[in-house]
Amino acid sequence: MDTCFNIKDLDLYYGDKQALKKISMDIYKNKVTAFIGPSGCGKSTFLRCLNRMNDLIEGCRIDGTIMNEGHDIYSKNQDIVDLRTRVGMVFQKPNPFPMSIYDNIAYGPRCQGLKDKKKLDEIVITSLKQVALYDEVASRLHESAMGLSGGQQQRLCIARCIAMSPDVILMDEPTSALDPISTSKIEDLIMELKKDYTIIIVTHNMQQAARISDYTAFFLLGEVIEMTDTDTMFSNPKDKRTENYITGRFG
Amino acid sequence: MKRKYKDILLKDMTYIASFIGTFILFLIVMYLVIKGAGLIKIHLLTSNYNAETENAAVIEDYVYHDMTDHDGNYSKKWGIAFEDVTTSHKEEVISVSYIDENSPFNHLYSTVAGKNNQSVSIEEGSIVKNMYYLDDSGNKTFLSETMMKDAANLASILDEKATGIISINYQSMGGGIKGSLIVTMYLIVISLLISLPIGVSAAIYLHEYAKKSRLNSLIRQGIDTLTGVPSIIYGLMGVTVLFPITKLVGAKSTSVLLGALTMAVILLPTIISSTTEALIVVPQGLRDASLSLGATKSQTIFKVVLPSAINGILTGVLLSIGRVIGESAALVYTTSTVINDAPTILSQGTSLSLMIWSIMSSEQPNYELASAISLIILMVVFMINGVVKLVSKRFVKSFE
Repeated sequence: MDTCFNIKDLDLYYGDKQALKKISMDIYKNKVTAFIGPSGCGKSTFLRCLNRMNDLIEGCRIDGTIMNEGHDIYSKNQDIVDLRTRVGMVFQKPNPFPMSIYDNIAYGPRCQGLKDKKKLDEIVITSLKQVALYDEVASRLHESAMGLSGGQQQRLCIARCIAMSPDVILMDEPTSALDPISTSKIEDLIMELKKDYTIIIVTHNMQQAARISDYTAFFLLGEVIEMTDTDTMFSNPKDKRTENYITGRFG
Repeated sequence: MKRKYKDILLKDMTYIASFIGTFILFLIVMYLVIKGAGLIKIHLLTSNYNAETENAAVIEDYVYHDMTDHDGNYSKKWGIAFEDVTTSHKEEVISVSYIDENSPFNHLYSTVAGKNNQSVSIEEGSIVKNMYYLDDSGNKTFLSETMMKDAANLASILDEKATGIISINYQSMGGGIKGSLIVTMYLIVISLLISLPIGVSAAIYLHEYAKKSRLNSLIRQGIDTLTGVPSIIYGLMGVTVLFPITKLVGAKSTSVLLGALTMAVILLPTIISSTTEALIVVPQGLRDASLSLGATKSQTIFKVVLPSAINGILTGVLLSIGRVIGESAALVYTTSTVINDAPTILSQGTSLSLMIWSIMSSEQPNYELASAISLIILMVVFMINGVVKLVSKRFVKSFE
């Protein structure tokens, strides 16, 4: 099976504090990989390493390698902007830009210099259709995105990410701010998107991880305790700590 | 029991304190309204401050018409009405209260040397000084200020005795604030044109680009301190440091441009801090979203962050306008205190606030005009405060 990321001995420090310890794992193409673990275990931090969003945080230092397409993304000649167009991200809280629905989705391509109105139209419409939002907003593409409901906003954010046609979509607890109906819509969407994209999702919700992911990694205090395919993880965990967490004894 | 009385006493003291504060403010506004409200007319805004004396003669081949009727001390024969007025300098004078379209006083040419017989007309409000007319036997007769006595007498002399008007000496009303209005506009526009781009850029650098460091926090502290520096010190800086710059573009002495440059420096800290505050309110999520879509840092700032902060920046601009309108100390040495009715960027002139200073420090302080200008300034400032509240409310709301 093709791998998308090969991570080897990744250490991450915030100033003097070590937040990630010797993390090594492979992430496979066109699969859904879920990161679970209690709050503060480093799963979101690790996710943000994959498109170098941690660069924005002052005092953050990284050792180790993350190979993507045979290239270390932390090497000096890595173009960060190029990396982020290939590795998109969806955040915990829906964060549409305060502009129209159309402009939100066209934002990424426009930043890359695309000006052709026809191509932009096409990208906007196909992206919206992929997240099953097109029918709901077709009549108000040019109205503010801030008027959408929370669930719609989050699907818009996913559409905005897809508009860049990335290889990988990172999702940082994308449903934790949403109601159950919106959550199930997003979960359906993830199952659908898996055909075309590699998806890595951080979640607090173990049922969600069990429902949608192919592989699961369990994080605890900055370490990966266990990583295996989801079925094995939830039926027959090797580590005692994993079992305790999954069965709800702590966390 | 004692505790209860103490409680009531303290409560009443705070009541009285707040009452005193509000009452004094009320008194000030009432004083301004009583003194100055009568002067607030369109004429005040459009006319010159300095009265101009004009000597004018009736055009010789002027054809006389019948005049329409009018009330007051009206001379129907000549189509002109007068009234008795006390000027702001406490002088009893006769002024023109109405003038008919066909009146010969409307068709004059200037006999002042150097004006080349340029055609002029008396405006309503002008003060009549003296005139020459033809009496019934065709003699040229002089009518001095004492001979006119009052408005009613003047109208009847003209109606009964005059068979023709030869010339008139009059004074334009003056006391207007047109020049100061223009200077104030210049100051607002030029100072904002300079300080807005610099201030916003500086705020972007300090908040978006600069890493946390000793130097950075020192700069921030410096900017905060600058906000509290008395403006007269800025004025001093203006004459000494900025004057050579204005000299380069042709200013011979202090000028409106020098005042505007000084104001630009004064506004910088205000604009930097209000822009920084606006940038702080923009959610980090928007920056993350933009960067995660492969936008560069500058694209993120100019396409997402700044448009989101625009209302906050607008608040800074409005506060700056208020500051320019209210500023006087920094302008005393930089634009001068000479009231100029036709100011240019490189000439001297007074802003509205400075005009108050100027007319109050002259030999005969003009309380009425000062109050009228104060009222205008107060109205503008209240308006700006209202708009600022509205805008900042909308700004905070847009992220909820």
